[in-house]
Amino acid sequence: MSEILKGRAWVFGDDVDTDLIYHNKYLAETDPKNMPQYAFEYYPGKEHFAKEVKPGDFVVAGKNFGCGSSREHAVYCLKYAGIPVVLAETCSRIYYRNAINNGYPVLFVKGISDAIKQGKINDGDQLEVELSTGTIKDVTSGHEFHGDAVSDLENDIMQAGGLMEYLKAQAAAKK
Amino acid sequence: MGKTAIVKIMERAAGKPVKVGDRVWCKIDWSTARDFGGANCVLQFEKEMGADAKVWDPDKIAFTFDLQAPSHSEKVSTNQKIIREFAKKQGIKRVFDINNGIGQHVMLEAGMIKPGDVVLGTDSHMNLLGGVGAFATGVGNSDIAASWINGTNWFRVPETMKIEVTGKFQKGVCMRDLLTHIVGDLGAGGMDFLAVEFTGETIDNSTLADRITLCSMVTEMSGKVPIIMPNGEVLKWLVERAGPEVENRVKELSADPDAEYCKVIKYDVTNLEPLASCPDAPDNVKPVREVAGTAVDQVHIGSCSNGRFEDIKAAYDVLIAGGGKVSPKVRTIITPSTTEVQLACAKAGMIEKFLEAGIVFTNPTCALCTAEHYGALPSGDVGCSTTNRNFIGKVGKGSHTYLMSPMSAMATAVKGVITDPRDILG
Repeated sequence: MSEILKGRAWVFGDDVDTDLIYHNKYLAETDPKNMPQYAFEYYPGKEHFAKEVKPGDFVVAGKNFGCGSSREHAVYCLKYAGIPVVLAETCSRIYYRNAINNGYPVLFVKGISDAIKQGKINDGDQLEVELSTGTIKDVTSGHEFHGDAVSDLENDIMQAGGLMEYLKAQAAAKK
Repeated sequence: MGKTAIVKIMERAAGKPVKVGDRVWCKIDWSTARDFGGANCVLQFEKEMGADAKVWDPDKIAFTFDLQAPSHSEKVSTNQKIIREFAKKQGIKRVFDINNGIGQHVMLEAGMIKPGDVVLGTDSHMNLLGGVGAFATGVGNSDIAASWINGTNWFRVPETMKIEVTGKFQKGVCMRDLLTHIVGDLGAGGMDFLAVEFTGETIDNSTLADRITLCSMVTEMSGKVPIIMPNGEVLKWLVERAGPEVENRVKELSADPDAEYCKVIKYDVTNLEPLASCPDAPDNVKPVREVAGTAVDQVHIGSCSNGRFEDIKAAYDVLIAGGGKVSPKVRTIITPSTTEVQLACAKAGMIEKFLEAGIVFTNPTCALCTAEHYGALPSGDVGCSTTNRNFIGKVGKGSHTYLMSPMSAMATAVKGVITDPRDILG
């Protein structure tokens, strides 16, 4: 079955670093559920994100999303805010690993960096995202985008719910 | 076609032939965590595996307290305590507490790291250990906690980019300037998912401190792992610390002459000038000369990128050449990367001169890499720093930071405005 997710877009640029997603000021936090309140607090023009984000909204970004620190807080703060998937042209390897390891989908979307710059996808646009096919429709602007599929191993880890869950399932299967 | 160093290292760790693009499970030689992220790893491991679960091998795990050492808040103190208690319960002996310094540097000095070792850590600048040929990369707490289950983790075998460097630096110019040039040239995502080998005569003749600088900021181009196979003095130093096995590893794991690279880039440093990463991104690069005269409020010399003895000595030489005093308009802070470096500075008589110059010389720690340690900048302040990131608001909302070499930073501290160190050194 191919479920279609519907929600609003929150649009960001290229090279969004982890301090902009989740500032180092709050690194001592250890409970993932407390992290969404700090999301994008330092991103100019998006300071209101944490207050106004609704479960089901999407984060849309350009190239190299999540560059910088290894902090997994930058994944948790979006996951626990109810963002079902990050749609980015590319994301940095460190963010990609952290997302996969938490069973959190990141879709690599060709051309979305330019589309953001050209105003083809904007804050508040209504999106429809089909994860199984990678199809993204911007209902507001009428533009359509396509995300790449992840490799088999990454998909297996995602399906298991994350790396710890994957390893536990592997160990149980061996017994 | 021959193999790159990365392919050889991953074949060793995976115990089977690999090729670029493969997903493989590798044996981990060191799975480490800091005071930041460490408590998250411990809590996650115990939640998922149970409070009585044992880690796979306590002798392959290390904790380093560096981001906030000594702790600045009750919350961080609690996190550090969670780690100490977990280590005690699990029989993990390598806990480098608040009196040691920056984790990767401490582990290097302790002789823990060999070429080809697979090293994970909750510090995105783990990859500076590539400066001695290790496969070291920064990861999140899930990667660390998961690796404690059975001592393995998953990797994609990356393409390798080769960077060949030739020429000799002019006076007042150093490896940090080359690195800044590369970051500006390739951009923040210029190495995303890639491994990179640094080679060429400039690298062959460089110090360990320089190799650490170069490798540390591969992260700022989203690179996965940098590799410089040890040779010359660096190899000698490493053999003294980590034992004779180091030489076998270098022989076994160095790239074949006909290895396949996804890209080869050449740089000649002969005409390179001092450079700065201007606000608010590491890849916003301009010559120091071009931004000279900009007033600054604070100068910071240190960090995992430029906190070695050689870095501090280079700054010291600029200070002395400039008259031995820093400008009273500027707050100047020097932070050595480790206690060993701090001691070497003391023995060389430098700390006395720094204090007389009006400089704050601190204990070894990461210091001004966050807004949550000493030296955080208030809104509107301009900083100069040898750290590796100047993202928007990183060390204080509304502040702006120029990143530069220790020589440029000290020249700026002496004059009170951004200054090309060649104006002092002649």
